[in-house]
Amino acid sequence: MKPSVETHNLTVIYDKKPAIWNIDFTLPTGKIIGIMGPNGSGKSTLLKAIMGIIEPNIGYSKLFDQDLEDVRNKVSYVPQRQSVDWDFPASVWDVVAMGRYATKGLFKRLSKEDHRMIEESLNKVNMTPFTNRQISQLSGGQQQRVFLARALAQNADLYLMDEPFVGVDAATEQAIINLLKSMRDEGKTLLVVHHDLHTAQDYFEHMVLLNSRLVAEGPTSEVFTKDILTETYGGTLTTLSKVASVLQEKDFPMRHK
Amino acid sequence: MIDFWIILTASLVATTTAILGCFLIMRKMAMIGDAISHAVLPGIVIAYYISHSRASFPILIGAAASGMVVTYLIQFFHQKVKLQQDASIGISYTFLFAIGIILISLFSGNVDLDQDCVLYGEIAYVPLDNLSIGGLYAGPRQVWILGTTLIIISTSVIVAYRKLVLTTFDPAFASAMGISVVLWQYYLMAGVSLTTVVSFESVGAVLVIAFLSGPAATAFLLTKDFKKMLYLAVGFGISASILGYYTAVWLAGSIAGAIATIIGLQFAIAFIYIQFLKKARISETLENKALTEV
Repeated sequence: MKPSVETHNLTVIYDKKPAIWNIDFTLPTGKIIGIMGPNGSGKSTLLKAIMGIIEPNIGYSKLFDQDLEDVRNKVSYVPQRQSVDWDFPASVWDVVAMGRYATKGLFKRLSKEDHRMIEESLNKVNMTPFTNRQISQLSGGQQQRVFLARALAQNADLYLMDEPFVGVDAATEQAIINLLKSMRDEGKTLLVVHHDLHTAQDYFEHMVLLNSRLVAEGPTSEVFTKDILTETYGGTLTTLSKVASVLQEKDFPMRHK
Repeated sequence: MIDFWIILTASLVATTTAILGCFLIMRKMAMIGDAISHAVLPGIVIAYYISHSRASFPILIGAAASGMVVTYLIQFFHQKVKLQQDASIGISYTFLFAIGIILISLFSGNVDLDQDCVLYGEIAYVPLDNLSIGGLYAGPRQVWILGTTLIIISTSVIVAYRKLVLTTFDPAFASAMGISVVLWQYYLMAGVSLTTVVSFESVGAVLVIAFLSGPAATAFLLTKDFKKMLYLAVGFGISASILGYYTAVWLAGSIAGAIATIIGLQFAIAFIYIQFLKKARISETLENKALTEV
């Protein structure tokens, strides 16, 4: 099976300080993969470097064994919700329609097929009743659903999501994870930046643990261990105690379905 | 006929700038027009020094060139040096403007050029500078220049509409789709440079800046649909031109000043209207709640 994402010596440096340093991994396809690490560990930078939004100083990445340019329309990127101005005058439909623009030329009108995909995507995230709602009137969770619908409308094989669970209500979080699981079941690969250790084990089958450099990468059962987590999060007391409490309860699943 | 030409000139400027203004305020770059209108000074002086004439074409080239220089500087300070957008704008244009002033004072001994004549166009003089084609009266020269600019800008915006909207709303997503954010930024800024330069020659810098930010800001208050915002902004710009002109005639005052004042009033009225609407909506929901609870 082709690897979904592979990076080679990927390095991004901001102001002489490396944000990510020598990242080298090969990720499987058809899995929900978590990118975990403390604040400022370069999680978002890693996604941006893979998507070519930031030019890496050293190294390169390949998607499905090809260069990004050749597979762009098979890859979808979901930015952090807070990265855009939600006061922009647009409706939910307008934003989701942006997902269809990539494959369209400068002038081409959206076809019936495009409209169908936009409606279907909205339906999958339960936002159909809000189709004509102005985006400034949405809650945080609804904004995140709109971003996901836009990604769904791209109909990609690989999704890179930057903190999709931040600032959303519990119901939305559950809805999103269910959606991700059903996408995975369709054979899609999902690479998700996440920072909540409590839920990580339940959500991800595979993990990348990052602290500027790559600490570990592999199936969750192998890499979500005390030693690796301490190495990833080590340094700050609060996160250390968090890690300790996670490990204490490790034998007991924290979320019952 | 003079009335008509002045109003037409103002409306042409209003339409072009309102379209660009909508993109600028959504990019939090409304003051870029202010920056460009000042930063073109060194380019104008150098162009004048080289060509030894006040013919508009070389001056226009010089102005457009320094307009692009300031755009590049702002982009450079913001993205590469990581300075805030507003600070980048402030430092870049004051620097270039200062160079322009020094150049003027160096040459002013033997040159008929001063800040007034390059910075502050006077709209009332527009009908005095006429164009004739084959001996036939063809209207003021400015109307032709501004009309051409409007066609260039509106065509460019229509052609690139989706890319401009996408790079404005969500640059990271656009970039992930393979759309060059920097390219479309320059595309828009080239339009702003051209418009600012040709417009302030005829209506003055202050009115250009007022047209770039005012109508777009008023439209933003009133709609949550970007296309409607564009149409509304153009409508506000044109109506401010007409109302402003007659206000100036009535008061026997400055036309540019009156138009800029109307633009400010339009915004104030829209703001009050929005506040009123909000209050009405809140009391309505409160009433409905009270009714359902009863």
